[in-house]
Amino acid sequence: MRHRLRDPITGLLFVLPMLVLFVIFRFVPTLGAAGMSLTDYKISGDWSFVGVDNYARLLDDPIFLGALRVTVVYVAIYVPLTVVVSLSTALLLNSVIFMKGLFRGALFLPYVTSFVFAGVIWRWIYEFDGLLNGLLAKIDLGPVGFLDDTALVLPALATVSVWKGFGYSMLILLAGLKSIPRSYLEAARVDGANAWQRFRSVVFPLLRPALFFVMVIETIGAFQTFDLIYVMTGGGPSRASYNLILALYDQGFGDFNLAYAATIGISLFVLVFIVSMIQRRLLDRSEK
Amino acid sequence: MTLTETKRPAPPPVGRRSAVRGRASGRQWPLVALLAVVSVLTVSPFLLMVVLALSPANEPTVPHRWPDGLTFDNIMTNLTSSGFLTWTVNSFIFSAVSVVVILLTASMAGYAFAKKRFPGRDTLMWAFLATMMVPFQATLIPLFILVSELDGADTFWGLIVPTLANSQAVFLMRQFIRDLPDELFEAAKVDGAPEWRVYLQIVLPLTKPILATLGVFVFLWHWNDFLWPLVVANSDEVRTLTVGLASLRGEEFPQSMEMAAAAISVVPCLVVFFVLQRYLVNSIAMTGLK
Repeated sequence: MRHRLRDPITGLLFVLPMLVLFVIFRFVPTLGAAGMSLTDYKISGDWSFVGVDNYARLLDDPIFLGALRVTVVYVAIYVPLTVVVSLSTALLLNSVIFMKGLFRGALFLPYVTSFVFAGVIWRWIYEFDGLLNGLLAKIDLGPVGFLDDTALVLPALATVSVWKGFGYSMLILLAGLKSIPRSYLEAARVDGANAWQRFRSVVFPLLRPALFFVMVIETIGAFQTFDLIYVMTGGGPSRASYNLILALYDQGFGDFNLAYAATIGISLFVLVFIVSMIQRRLLDRSEK
Repeated sequence: MTLTETKRPAPPPVGRRSAVRGRASGRQWPLVALLAVVSVLTVSPFLLMVVLALSPANEPTVPHRWPDGLTFDNIMTNLTSSGFLTWTVNSFIFSAVSVVVILLTASMAGYAFAKKRFPGRDTLMWAFLATMMVPFQATLIPLFILVSELDGADTFWGLIVPTLANSQAVFLMRQFIRDLPDELFEAAKVDGAPEWRVYLQIVLPLTKPILATLGVFVFLWHWNDFLWPLVVANSDEVRTLTVGLASLRGEEFPQSMEMAAAAISVVPCLVVFFVLQRYLVNSIAMTGLK
């Protein structure tokens, strides 16, 4: 303890490399984004202060509002889907002993790949000439333009994202399930509770922290989806999968509306922040 | 290690557990069958990708019919095209350099945050954690302008250095080192060892397991990263494999060639998976790293 007290210099020196990286590449750009959103920063570097003009423009911009809608709808499709899939597979894995390690590995496998990889494979699966339509043709159905239909494109993209990512949440939930003492379940069984009642009254309450963690992580991730949409649809058809990150990317690197793109970034941050706070509240309330 | 011992709950009595398992096993088979179906469905895109990658280019293949013969032509054509090779090497450089530098800087910072006392320590740690709340995309535009101003666009340092500021890594190292007993560090100090030797000879060896875990994750994060390489590394000399793979589209590039490229790009991830699966799986459960 004595040494900890008189070590101000070495402590700082050890933090210094990471601190420098953080200040330059995290703190400065974060403040920069907030600052830029109040200017009309141009690619030439010229800028003047414009107040909240950029934010006012957002509220009047059909492309931004459309992207906002797509983002929210995508999150609303993806999060429940991935929670259901990862919870079901975690429950299945938890109740099976035979070849459990193999199954767990197979289900987790897509997690280690990239969204670009997933996008390339699933573009083929969804194509008119691809796997799903090939299978549908065998039973005289289709072809279905999974990525060409404005109503199907978001569920189709969410499915790919679930495939690529559910292994992670499954492992978190599996660890949560394993930490539930068997004696609790045995006691419930002895009391005559059926499988659903045991899940409802024993498993679910004890799993709630893990479920909450998974929901928060997946929600934040879903708001930030970019790679997959960029590769699979580019935001189409007719901007039906054009979300906030694609709008930010196009405004910034397509049209060079840098300040406006930064404003979209700030609005994304605010959105993610608000949703996280609401989720936090809901959890706190449900625990009382 | 004491850490794992304190965290592990007491195992249930052996006889009792096997009795439970024995009773349940009769009812297991439908669940095993269901699990097998879901597992096969999950893995099937990989298998189909391999079939496509090995199919002769521009000839009918799955799902319409089984290809007449399998060939490594697509794989070889990709591997011998200079662009593809450069992207692959670039991805390796991007990932490997990031692993080494992040492990070093994050373990140093984690050690200081866990075991040192210096002015502003808690504020700094809080600030590091707070950056996790800010989505990377929200800072993308200013970050790109900054890196361009520093002449980092289309350079390796511009690609790599901004991705090294990793708060998850610092936080993980801090948590792990904080649980190590203070006496280990005190003893070395009493012996008069300089601080850098304490770090090299005590901190690094003791944190090996968590460094290995973190290294695997950093490798995967960077190998699979897309948005930052997409905006900052436009020229072929710096372009990474994910960005290159995303650019392979169109009539002149046959499906089977694209699948072969995708298959090659995923090999390092699969190696990591098959060699370190148990490790990855346990660390996700314990640390929540994503």
